[in-house]
Parts: sequence; structure tokens; C-alpha cells
Amino acid sequence: MKTTIQGRNRRLIEEFDPRTLAALEGLDLKARYVMEGFLAGLHQSPFHGFSVEFSDYRNYQPGDDLRHLDWRLYARSDRLCIKRYLQETNVRFYVVVDTSASMAYRGSGAWGSKLDHARLLAAALTWFLLRQNDAAGMITLSGGEEVPKFIRPSQRPSQFGLMLRQLEQLTPAGGACLAKLIQHTIRLVHRRSIILLFSDLLEPADDVALGFKQLRFHGHECIIFQILDRDETEFPFTEARVFQDLETGQERNITPAAVRATYLERFNAFMEAWRELFRGLEMAHCVVQTDDNPGRALARFLSERRKYK
Amino acid sequence: MSLLFPLALLGIAAIAAPLWLHLRRKTDPRLIRFSTLRFLQDSPSPERRPLRLRDILLFALRCLAVVALALAFAWPFVRESKPTIIRESRVYILDNTFSHQANDGVAKARDRIMREISSLGSDVQVAVVELAGAPIVLAGFGDDRLALEQKLRDLQPSHQRGSYLAAFRQANALLENSFGEKKRIIFQTDNQENQWTEHVHTAPFLQNTEVSISPPLAKLANLSLAFPKLQRIFLGEKSIVTFSAKLSHDGSAPRTEVVLKADGQVLLSKTLDLERKPETVSLQTEWEADANRWISGELTAQYAGDALASDNTLYFTHPPVREGTVAVLAQSAYLRLALSPEVMRGHWGARMIDPAKISEQLASENDAEVLCIESGYLQSPDARKLVWRYLTNGRGVILAANRVSPAVAGALRELGIEADSPAEGKRSGNLVYIASNHPIFHPFRSPDYGNLGEVKVHRHTRLRAAQGMPLVFGESGDVLLFQGTRFPGKLLVCSFGFEREQTSWPLHLTFIPFLDLALQHCRPTGEDGNNFECGETTTISLPQNSSAREVTVGGARFAVNNATAQIRLPDKPGIYEVSFDSAAEPARRFSVNPPPRESQLGYVSNPEAPAIWTVPNEKGPVAQAGTVPASALSRTDIFRQHWWWWLALAGLVALVTEMLWSSARKAQI
Repeated sequence: MKTTIQGRNRRLIEEFDPRTLAALEGLDLKARYVMEGFLAGLHQSPFHGFSVEFSDYRNYQPGDDLRHLDWRLYARSDRLCIKRYLQETNVRFYVVVDTSASMAYRGSGAWGSKLDHARLLAAALTWFLLRQNDAAGMITLSGGEEVPKFIRPSQRPSQFGLMLRQLEQLTPAGGACLAKLIQHTIRLVHRRSIILLFSDLLEPADDVALGFKQLRFHGHECIIFQILDRDETEFPFTEARVFQDLETGQERNITPAAVRATYLERFNAFMEAWRELFRGLEMAHCVVQTDDNPGRALARFLSERRKYK
Repeated sequence: MSLLFPLALLGIAAIAAPLWLHLRRKTDPRLIRFSTLRFLQDSPSPERRPLRLRDILLFALRCLAVVALALAFAWPFVRESKPTIIRESRVYILDNTFSHQANDGVAKARDRIMREISSLGSDVQVAVVELAGAPIVLAGFGDDRLALEQKLRDLQPSHQRGSYLAAFRQANALLENSFGEKKRIIFQTDNQENQWTEHVHTAPFLQNTEVSISPPLAKLANLSLAFPKLQRIFLGEKSIVTFSAKLSHDGSAPRTEVVLKADGQVLLSKTLDLERKPETVSLQTEWEADANRWISGELTAQYAGDALASDNTLYFTHPPVREGTVAVLAQSAYLRLALSPEVMRGHWGARMIDPAKISEQLASENDAEVLCIESGYLQSPDARKLVWRYLTNGRGVILAANRVSPAVAGALRELGIEADSPAEGKRSGNLVYIASNHPIFHPFRSPDYGNLGEVKVHRHTRLRAAQGMPLVFGESGDVLLFQGTRFPGKLLVCSFGFEREQTSWPLHLTFIPFLDLALQHCRPTGEDGNNFECGETTTISLPQNSSAREVTVGGARFAVNNATAQIRLPDKPGIYEVSFDSAAEPARRFSVNPPPRESQLGYVSNPEAPAIWTVPNEKGPVAQAGTVPASALSRTDIFRQHWWWWLALAGLVALVTEMLWSSARKAQI
């Protein structure tokens, strides 16, 4: 994976321009821009065609389609066997997007807010998954609502438009809602599935951690895309200002020079706790910076996806 | 200090805007909205300032601008209390009679008065009298001119006729109580000729009063309809309605389109050529109508160049037939047959009086509406008493002088009729000189009902009455039929009996219609008036068994007193229903039309009457200094005061200062 990204994709990643992405109108176009560029870089990669490869044989049963009968094997061993392919064993993906008010934050170097970033990644991955004949669905809590919006997983081509519309309607509002969203996901998803979670995870960890454990207990695989802004990870502010919490409305007089060290220490400990949790639960954890190329996150996803083949 | 437009003070509420500007908390430009402060909880919270006014001076400046501008728009003025010598007392008379509507004359006169009043100073007292049906004082000398202007603006044109003389008397009464050194009446009128000539011989009553009259109008073309007459005539079982009206024109209209509508149906539509026709044309028509229903309709005569269009439509109503009662004391077989139920069913119920039982009839007091009697019975004292009672009680009597004995002549003399006995037996020939305008003979203008000139009278009695109106003359010049006017009841005297040897009339086609019309004419009045003029006041009688307490006419209610109600007809022409209490069915229908005399648009240039009415060579009273009431300040006086100007200036100065100040502050920030 690492080799792949450092191969021909290096040029693509280096050529990525956040301003170009910001200038594009419509989530559909943005998602295609990101994914087409990414896939062009993967043209000769080992990932190519992984979802249509031969898997194994099973015995022929009356009624099976004769097109899938291995005639050569029959000639060699006089056995009637049916070829099975990987794409027949596709899984269900659920896109889960956090819409708490903190996702509205947009730093000075970012091309969009964290939610814009989450939307873009979710749309690009949906397009990719549907193209590979995987079923994709969605669970969101928009604008501080209590009832989640649920899109049942499907492989139909129209599913992409349906999910895009839902993604475009997402508005960041309300307080912490990730724990609630995970509980809704546990309640709504019954079969083993892969959960793609897009959040900044800036919430009290206990409830959310419990939710992740329950997801794991139910057999779901989770890939967590933690979207953060450069301002959150580095706290680059210099002038003393009044800071207002987007989720609680709480205000504080902050002198950045005085508190930066404390902030970074606490933030790193917070991130380490998440990493520890995801490591323990064997969940993929991908940190995405809002001023970074979304292709990195996709590459990470593909490497994780390969594990589940 | 008063305000011309006090509602403009509501503009002071605009102070709320600067108040909000100075109280609101401005967003701190240094605020950073960050995704989470959970890692910075130990930092201090900023202090929130309490709600208080900032920049008091700027706030005061803005409030001053708002208040000053609101006050300026309210237009303040001061009422001066110092006494003012009243130079002139002036009464405007606005002629609002129907004729003045021609060429929009009332509106023009009203605007002229309003213009003059608004330009007058406080040294001129003003009163305004409106002349509609009667003179009405719109505003006295002490009344507010602004209210007067509003009253003039709200004035509606009237369809009534009012007397110029009455208006001048009303104006004179106002001037008698005025303070002005000079007294003046300004009459805004159309100078209708028949109005000025009506009271030209009235004694002088205007003392030291100058009269100004607006110049006369040029001759205006007019075509008008008036005098609707409807009568029902029965030809066998058929009920025919005869209708007539007068069309007046001044020769300027070559032709007109006449349309007659009754009960929603167009009965007649005809183009009438008016060239070389007399000024008054009589229109007459007839149609068959249900005898048991009201007839209501309108006659219109359209002409495009008409100056007074409201009199081109004539409304009319006529009641259904009500069966009358007639008592018959006659031996004439023809008369008895003509009044029998077989002939008069549904119209008249005849009661034959036995000559031997006249006293019983006299005692019963159950009188019919009309008594038909032959003069021979007047020899009986009871019969004479009966006739006398009918006439004095307002009932009708048809007296046929078939025989005149000395006793009968004496009885006739009691009734005011002199019978000339030598003429008895004289052959008079055919009927001639018939009063065709009389209701009885009016329908016979139409040849459909027969020719009265064919009726022969073989023998008649020469009768004379000092109080009577001759209706029919014979060839000899004797009066053959006349109507007595001495009694409250109607007396119709025929100088011959309805016998074959006296007249051929009972065998003639016209006899039954004549008898029916004569009985209808003689029956007690009460419901015969259904056509009125606009604004006319009349008394209507309710049925004896009616318990109604009020009468409604055109939406107006009138109280009932002793089974009668005095009502005032609406001012606008039309057909109006009369109902008693809240009954759904109308009891009667009235047609209301403009006064016919108001349609005569003849004008005079220098009317003689005002000069005759003025008392010459008398010195007027010494002028008294009066205090002008504050409310009498004219709008011109108010506009001359410049309070609003100073306030507007102050508001503008405050606004300019505020703008400069605000700009300077922004530059500092």
C-alpha cells in the first residue's frame, strides 16, 4: 500500500490543489474529480480488478448457469464444477457521517469545512463502491435531529444520486451526537457490514468508545475517518482572542501563547486515547486533515479494504 | 398650540430605531468560533457588560431628529386669541336642486365655494346653506371651516326641488345674528327660470344685504319624462293596463329611443321622431296584465346630448285590483246588470238596497265604498241621509239625475246642485267636450275602448253646481257629467238616468269601462298614490286590522301612529318597496321620480326677484368687534404660521450632524 502511494500516485498527490477542488460546483463533480484522479494513479497497481477475480469452485447443481461451468476442468477430471468469483461475495458498506456543530469549523488553510470534507470523502467512496458492485447505504443525523436518516444499502446505480442528495442536505448543528449516531447504527444495521464513519471525534470518549465496542461486538468492521483541521492539531493562533465553542456556545478568553503547550499536550493525549481504542478494537483509523489531499484517505481505505477481501 | 395632522405624531414611534441601535450588543470582531474548547476549560470566561445606552449624545441627536420631523409633519399652529374685527359676514347658498345637476353644475359650484372659503381670512365670517328639498345649514358662522370643507366634499347631488325663496330666508336668518360690517349672500345656482318667477311677488325681507348670483348657464339640451299614469280597464275577462306619460324636449333632440319595461319584460322599444313635434309629447300604450299582481316598471327615453340624464327614466308602479263594494239604490236595469257579479266579478261586489229598507241600511252603518243612486230616491229622507253620510265620511257617490221633482230638487240643493227644471226633457244629442285628462276618461283617448262621442243622451236635466268640476258637456252646451268638490267624498253627478229613454250609453261599448273607472275614481282614497317625487313626505294609511309598529321604505324606518305613518320617500329615483314591520312580503310599492319642473332647463340672466326681495335705503347695524373662534382659522392662516418650517429645519440639522458624527466615528475605528 505504502509503495503504491509512493509510486505513480506521488505525482497525483503532489499535484492536488485544494483551490481547484473548492472551485468545483457540486458534490458529484468533486467526488469524481478526486476518484478519477486517484484511480488514474492506480492504473497498474495490485488493486486493479480485485473485485472480479476468481475465488474457488463448488459442485454443479441442477439449475446453475452453464456459462459458469468450468469446461476445462470437466475435460481434465470429468467433474462438473462452477467457478465462483470475488464479486459474488460483496459486502455492505454503511456511510455514517457526524453532523455536530464542530464539523462546521473551517480553518484558514482548508478548502472547506470538516463536514464538506466528510461529504466529499463519503461521496467519492460511495461512487467507488457502487462502481465495484458493492452495496452502499447511509445513516446520518442531520441538524441536531433525533430521528436518523437511513438509506438502505443497494447496488443500484441510482443509489449514488440518492446518497449524494442526502449528503448535500447535511447541515452542521447541535451538540455532540456521535454516541447517539452510533447507537442508531447498531440498531439499524443487523447483518455484518463495514461501517465508514466520518467524524472529528471531538466528543467525550466514554460513550463513543462504548458504541464502538458494541459495533465490534456485533461483528461489524469499522473504518474511522477522523477529520481534523490544522488549527485543531497545531493550534497556530497568536493573538489573544475570545474563543467560542461551536457546539456549546461557551466563550473563553484565550491567550494562545500561554495555553498552546497545554492544549497540544491534552489534544495529543486525546488522540492517543482514540488510537489506543481503535487499535484494541482492530478498527482502521484514518486521520484526514482538511488542507490535505483527500486521496490519502482513499488510499488508506483501499488498503483496509484489501484486508477484508 | 394645535396640530393640523395629529396622526403624524405616530411617527415619534420611530425613536424605537435609535433606541435599538444604542442598546444592542455588537458582535465582538475579535471572536473566534472554534470547534471545541474542551482542552481549554481552565481559561477564564469573558465578562458580559450589562444592557445600557451607549453614546448618549448621539442617541439624543437621533431622537431629536425623529421628534422634530414628526412634529413638523403634524403641522403645529397657534390659535391667536386677540379680538379681530369681522369685516364681512357671508352666506353661501349652494343650489343642490335637481336641475343644477345639469352639466355637473352642483360639483362645480361646490368646488367654487370650497376654493373661495379656503382663501378667506379670519376677518370674514362664513356660513353655508345647502338648498335641496329644503334649505339646510351646512355650517354656521361659528363652525369649523375644516369640518365645513369635509361636509361640502361629502355632499351628494339631490334629486329634489327646493325653493330659492326659502334658501334666501334661511340665509337672512343667519345674517341677522352675524357680526359682520358687511352682509352678503352668494348664491351658487343655475338660475332656473321657473324658480325665480315662482316667488317674484314676495314682500322685501333682505336688509342691507348684498346679493351675488352666479352667472346663468347657457341653454342646455334636455329631454325628460314625467307624469306616469296607469289604469286598469277590464274588457270582459281581460285586464288591460293603460299607461301614459309626458315626454318633454326642447327641440335639440331629433329623435329618441323609447323603451318601456314592466315586470322585467320589454314591452315597447321604439324610435320616436321629435322634429316638428310640440315641446310636450304624450306617450300612451296599453298591455294585458295580471289583475292580481303589482305592476312596476320604467320608461326610458335616451338621447346622447342630454345635460340632465337622471330624468330620462320614469319609474311607475300600480297596485293589483282590490275588489270594491258598491251599494246600488237604482231601478235602472242596465245599471243593475252592469254591476251584477256576472259582469263585475273580482272588481266590484254590488249590494242592492231594497228601497223599502233604506232605514235599515242607514242604521246598520255597514256602508259600501261607493253608493250608486238615482235621484228619484232622494225624495226619501233616509236616502238623503245616506248620501250625506257617504259624502261626509269620505266615500263616493254616483248620482244619476233620472228624475227631478221639487223634493228631489230640494235634496240636490242641499248637495250644492241647482237643478233647472225647465230643461228637463231637452234632447241634448251626443257627448262632446269630454275632459280627457280626467282619470275616468283618460283611457278613452285610445280608440280601443270605444268612441264616447257616439254616446247619445236623449233627455237630461240641466244641473249647475258652484263647487263642481264639469267633465262632459252635451251638444247644447249643458254639463252632462260633473264632479262635486264640496265634500270630502267624491260625488259624481250625471244629469241623466241610465235608462233607454234617456241615453244610449248603457248599450254602448264604453259603458262598462266607464262605470268601472267611475267607481274606482269615487272609492275612498288611501292607496291610490303610488307615484311620488324624490324626497317627498307623505302619509300612508295602514289596513285597519294591522298591528304593525313601523313602516320600512327603502331601508328607512318610520313609526306608525293610529294606523298611519308619515314617511319620507328616498332622494334617489327608483322603485321602492314598502313593508310593515319585518314582513318579508312588501305591502306596497312606490315609484319615485324627480320633480317634473326641475327638468325645465330654462335660465334667466338677471333675475328680478333678488332686487324685489331687498329692502332699499336702510342703514345697517354698526359693526361689532367679535372674537374669531379659534376653530375658525382657515387653512391659509395655518399655512402662514411657520412652526413646521423651523421644526423641519431642526430635524434636518440634527440629521446632518448625526451623519457627520457617525462618519467621523467610523473613520476613528
